[in-house]
Amino acid sequence: MSAKDEILGRVRRGVGKDDFAGRRAAAVASLATMERGPQPTMNADLAARFRAKAEYLSSTVAGVASLAEAPAAVAAYLAANHLAAEAVATADVGGLDWVGCGLKVEARSAVDADKTGISGCFSAIAETGTLMLLSGPQTPATVSLLPETHIALVDISRIVPTMEDAFALLRAEHGSLPRAVNFISGPSRTGDIEQTIVLGAHGPCRVHLILIGSDSSP
Amino acid sequence: MSAVKHSQAMHFHARAGEKVRNAVLQRALQKAKPLFVGKRAKGMVSLAEDGLDFQLLRSTAKNIRNRTLADLDVWLDIFEERATATGAEVLWARDGAEVSKLVVDIARRHGVSKAVKSKSMLSEEAQLNEALAAAGVRPVETDLGEYIVQLAGEAPSHIIAPAVHKTINEIEALFAKEHDRPLQTRTSADIPAMAQEARAVLRQHFLSAEMGISGANFLIAETGSAALVTNEGNGRMVTTLPKLHVVITGIEKIVPTLEDFATLMRLLPRSATGQSISNYVSLLTGTKRDGDHDGPEKTIFILVDNGRANLLGSDYQDMLRCIRCGACMNHCPVYFSLGGHAYGWVYPGPMGSVLTPLFTGIENALDLPHASTGCNQCGAVCPVEIPLPTLMHRLREEQNERGLRPWSERLALKAWAWMAGKPLLYRWFARRAARYLNWLADGSGRIRIFGLAPEWTAGRDLPVSSGRTFHELYSARKKT
Repeated sequence: MSAKDEILGRVRRGVGKDDFAGRRAAAVASLATMERGPQPTMNADLAARFRAKAEYLSSTVAGVASLAEAPAAVAAYLAANHLAAEAVATADVGGLDWVGCGLKVEARSAVDADKTGISGCFSAIAETGTLMLLSGPQTPATVSLLPETHIALVDISRIVPTMEDAFALLRAEHGSLPRAVNFISGPSRTGDIEQTIVLGAHGPCRVHLILIGSDSSP
Repeated sequence: MSAVKHSQAMHFHARAGEKVRNAVLQRALQKAKPLFVGKRAKGMVSLAEDGLDFQLLRSTAKNIRNRTLADLDVWLDIFEERATATGAEVLWARDGAEVSKLVVDIARRHGVSKAVKSKSMLSEEAQLNEALAAAGVRPVETDLGEYIVQLAGEAPSHIIAPAVHKTINEIEALFAKEHDRPLQTRTSADIPAMAQEARAVLRQHFLSAEMGISGANFLIAETGSAALVTNEGNGRMVTTLPKLHVVITGIEKIVPTLEDFATLMRLLPRSATGQSISNYVSLLTGTKRDGDHDGPEKTIFILVDNGRANLLGSDYQDMLRCIRCGACMNHCPVYFSLGGHAYGWVYPGPMGSVLTPLFTGIENALDLPHASTGCNQCGAVCPVEIPLPTLMHRLREEQNERGLRPWSERLALKAWAWMAGKPLLYRWFARRAARYLNWLADGSGRIRIFGLAPEWTAGRDLPVSSGRTFHELYSARKKT
């Protein structure tokens, strides 16, 4: 008997029910209800909540009025942190006028040598201050992973209250899941040496968010 | 069962004594405990701030897990169908040995010489690293804590903080040797530099490994995805850079929908580290798509039984709800007196005291269900309401039913049961015992050295009654 048949046989005996087809149909039907568990109650100002939570998780946040102003904000951040004026970017934001702000930006997937990665995001979650990125031809996952500094452009109209709302948006706009959905909440960290939290484990050491559509200065 | 040979759980008593006397270990544990407890407490505050009730949330989580287990055959079928439809391959393994065999075969077929691993406790059940090394494949643990215990040639002592038993000096010695540099004097201020050093070394492994091996925190039936929760980002590296990704996970890890997953994610990080969310939460579905620049070309799920299916429909089914957060051990006075290695197998603390006998045989872990003070801290913090003390009691009963307890203990229990059924005799005996203990205590209320069980009073006094039994006091009080 194959491992699969043997394991499923044991599972079936443990479950102790017949009518597999009927139960399966009921299970598949239950998926469509998309029933949510208890939801948090939050202040209506999602952008403010997102910003506060992201800062709590050690991200830095700046605000600009429009997408066109993002390159200047990125240039200012890199200069203020003494970082080189070059970066790798995901293609969805690669077409902005980076050159005009004195930045050398290449739209491609990231390699080990890249110091700064710039990405957009599919959505952002106010509850936890989390970015939601989808992998894809225009949005390679390595850009938000390999460089020491990750800068994300977040359109405030894409901020939703909860992870469930982000999933609803994903279902509505894409139907199915891409290879990787990555929820990112601040710089990578580890507490494995004497339970002391250190930023910059394997992923980025710095995460900087530029909120588009908010003119509140940093 | 291969797990039996691998398990040291029968030596719990001896190992416990050794761990209590290990001053370095005791220092590490005493330092860690308040941090773990404090972090979870903060996580609970953050729930309350959002108007979320822990009890309501965890009963919802419990229902999600129960609903899956009640029709697990169905959910496995749905998961397999949907995962396969996304381009992943789904394999099955009866036990740890079969997991190792499958992974070694996959590695051979793809010419793998190095595999990077993101934390997987199931791979510890399977002793996968040993099997890979024997087959000429170098396994590299990439979670910093796992990397440290791998360098030390040890097993993890905690399911989410594998190196919690290691002090900074021990870690420095391991790094100096492995990274081939002189030993330095290290203080807490050097921890960022040490993490940087490990980052640089492991980055090269991520870039050169041909295979990534990860566990899965959950499998999502709706989408056929694996969910991976990490803080370091190693989980993302392992599942993004190598051309081949193998997910090893237990058959019980399925949840039906993305919404169910979202509910569990409000509890898992808070229960583990107090975080409202972990840094990286990834849903991995299928393989690299047309036009994608990164991601594995092949993704293989290995769904593992290794003792899990037998728990369905048994007295222990509740244990299959476990989401491996570690809160039970973080709040356990026994765990923090001994550390994880005393438990002798993969899983320590209260959840290990239940799982080890169930997975490796009740007769092979006789002490573990007794490694409890009965305080129920574990049950109180469990995010899926597993009645851990009750399950330990059931295991003790089963030891007794199967004649696995020492004859003296069984005889004593029989004698007590016989006497407890005869109220007059019981009261007579209780009166005598109360008088005797009071006489031993010399009226002081406590016995310093109890001759019948001197070990018990080696580190504490035995409190005793005033010499009157409950019945006597009750009757006296009724009269007044």
